Amino acid sequence: MIQRALTLCLAMAMAATGAGFASAQSQGPLRIEITEGVIEPLPFAVPQFEAETAGSAEMAAQISRVVAADLSGTGLFRELPATAFISTVGSFGAPVQYADWKAINAQALITGAVNVQGNTLNVKFRLYDVFAGSELGSGLQFSGTVDGWRRMAHKVSDAVYSRITGEGGYFDSRVVFVSETGPKDARQKRLAIMDYDGAGVQYLTDSRSIVLAPRFSPSGDRVLYTSYESGFPRIYLLDVGSVQRRALDSQDGTMSFAPRFAPNGQTVVYSISQGGNTDIFAMDVNSQQAVRLTSAPSIETAPSYSPDGTQIVFESDRSGSQQLYVMPASGGEARRISFGEGRYGTPVWSPRGDLIAFTKQNNGRFHIGVMRTDGSEERLLTASFLDEGPTWAPNGRVIMFTRETQGAGGQSALYSVDISGRNLRPVPTPDGASDPSWSPLQK
Amino acid sequence: MHAGHYISGVGHLALIGWLLLGDVFAAEPLPIDMTPVSVISQAEYEAMMAAQTGPQSVTEVAQPAAPQEAPQAPDVSPATDQATAQTAPAQSPTPPAEVPPQAAEPAPPQPPRADVSDTAPVLPEPPSEVAVLVPDVSDRPVPRASERVAPEPVAQPEPEATPDEVAQEAIAPSTEGEAVEEPREATAPEAAATEIVTEAEKPAAAPRQSSRPPSRRPDPLPETARVEDTTPAQPTAAAPEPAAAPAAQADKSAINDALAEALGAATPSAPAPAAPQGPPLTSGEREALRVAVSSCWNVGSLSSEALRTIVVVSVGMQPDGKPINASIRLASSSGGSEGAARQAFEAARRAIILCGSKGFDLPQEKFGQWQDIEITFNPERMRNK
Repeated sequence: MIQRALTLCLAMAMAATGAGFASAQSQGPLRIEITEGVIEPLPFAVPQFEAETAGSAEMAAQISRVVAADLSGTGLFRELPATAFISTVGSFGAPVQYADWKAINAQALITGAVNVQGNTLNVKFRLYDVFAGSELGSGLQFSGTVDGWRRMAHKVSDAVYSRITGEGGYFDSRVVFVSETGPKDARQKRLAIMDYDGAGVQYLTDSRSIVLAPRFSPSGDRVLYTSYESGFPRIYLLDVGSVQRRALDSQDGTMSFAPRFAPNGQTVVYSISQGGNTDIFAMDVNSQQAVRLTSAPSIETAPSYSPDGTQIVFESDRSGSQQLYVMPASGGEARRISFGEGRYGTPVWSPRGDLIAFTKQNNGRFHIGVMRTDGSEERLLTASFLDEGPTWAPNGRVIMFTRETQGAGGQSALYSVDISGRNLRPVPTPDGASDPSWSPLQK
Repeated sequence: MHAGHYISGVGHLALIGWLLLGDVFAAEPLPIDMTPVSVISQAEYEAMMAAQTGPQSVTEVAQPAAPQEAPQAPDVSPATDQATAQTAPAQSPTPPAEVPPQAAEPAPPQPPRADVSDTAPVLPEPPSEVAVLVPDVSDRPVPRASERVAPEPVAQPEPEATPDEVAQEAIAPSTEGEAVEEPREATAPEAAATEIVTEAEKPAAAPRQSSRPPSRRPDPLPETARVEDTTPAQPTAAAPEPAAAPAAQADKSAINDALAEALGAATPSAPAPAAPQGPPLTSGEREALRVAVSSCWNVGSLSSEALRTIVVVSVGMQPDGKPINASIRLASSSGGSEGAARQAFEAARRAIILCGSKGFDLPQEKFGQWQDIEITFNPERMRNK
């Protein structure tokens, strides 16, 4: 009797286990894993923004074009031509016919309206996820003066870019650079500033003396640069708004160059060359008290702070060849982070803190590359006769640099490239250009 | 403190003793067949042996008949015959003088060989039948397929229903209004299909939430969905009815019949989702779905953080292979912030909607297997591309 009971219990347990296993196998959602995708520009549509007042039609058209150009210029988006549109957006508040936009494969739709009253300009926009059939975020409105219409268009682009990619934008930013004119042997150089896309160029200095390596302050209102105005390289601090400048203190008989702001905006790190030796110093801008950070017989230069201000990356030939090193912001022992073939120089820490951009010379060619802050995952993004001087976009996703063509008539120009190495494109400038420095996003 | 140990020890000893001495594991005594044994004399034995020679010849006759039926056994039968030939002489030593008839015993296997060789030309046909026995395994799928043929016709009428309306209009030109109504009756199965869709669409979230619990009750699900409303009521009502009154039973049975008919007409909506349960998707079918979704998964606009975020997206499917857009939701994420997960999810959702707009190539007969899908989007390999 007991034996039968035990047998029955065992049979029931096995049956239950088997049934459970079988059910687990036969039911439940189908599960698959996707590990490979595609990298293509996301198609978007920007119908011309609605002109809410009679005199704002032209402005609406211009702003629409700037927004489209901003997004297309990233290489991440592809504008659909207006000729492909099936339906139009009558008014800003009109419902969106998702099916019509879906039919032309528009995955994002940007609608907007422009209102000009006197010198006041109002721009508002909405972003739609067409395939989701819903608005992506809430509509935004910007107000300003008519003169600042490009900035307002850039702000619209920044908002759209940020909502789709999840990263901060970089369109409402400026670039300070060295404008170059004339032949190579008699080249004239001036400091100039422009929008990130090359529009609105303004000159900050004249061409009487050579200027080098301008660098924006973290707030974007000041610029450090090196000038040969005194006959020796010396560091100057320029106020962008007033175009007033002053020289930072330097010792007689020395050359100071390669300045760069610390993230706090009050400290400047730079190089001093004296007696054939070059070392790195840090100076408080207000007190102008300098502190030596390196004291090696080799050449240490091109320092750049980490975003948190705790470390400095610089180039040095202390090992016999020009390599990259990282040391504490207060100086001290440095560790080498570049170990590849060739020479490394002009390192710049990413605003996001995860990468370091650099110039690399190897086998007679120059490269712009990026690596992790520990030197790992080195990746070369460009290759040409001469690429140098990388600078980071405010969001840390794009790098701008100088490219110079070969020969006596070679010209310098600015180029930008995504950190993935894609979307390499020239930045339009009226003349030759070099030594770009990207500002933070404007407030 | 130790009392428990003592009690436990005593109990265990008692249990072990009971198991050993109590014949717990002893099998029940098998019934023993008792056979009477008697002592016989030499004369009786000879008489008995003389009587056995007759039947031996009978068995010899019977044996050739068997080899005729077992055609391909010639190789096997000789072995058995030899075995019998060996065993026979071993048993024969006792009656050596009378053995001559036993020498004839090994002979009987030989005639069967001759018979086999004669019937060999006839046997090729049976071998073909025997060959049919070998592919028994391959024959089984056939009946399985025939079992699932039933749901397929249900699926086929759906696409045919809509075009059939036109065909039926041509057939019934005489009755104008009626002709239109008749094809509508024929499209009643379509109404079932539309109901299937709405059921899958409206409770889009519900099925996914309850998808795991239902997995505990696999097969009953589709049937219970229908039956619980109809048949369960019948037996429960039928049990008390006999005790109550036959008249009431008749009424209730009529009502139940009516309900069964009504629900049976309505259940076409339920059967469709349940019928095509089918076997699990093959690896090729799963790969096809994976490739289809991959081709639309555009990570070009994702942030670096979103490219480090793995999202699991659940989606409910329609029988035609199209995703139910409203059912697409983020099941889980890992490796990134909430914002990064949202960006990654939006890219995944776009991929599903974009490539699913024309329907994924999935076997309809296995709809139950892919009615709910969970897709893991892992961008690890896309980070540095």
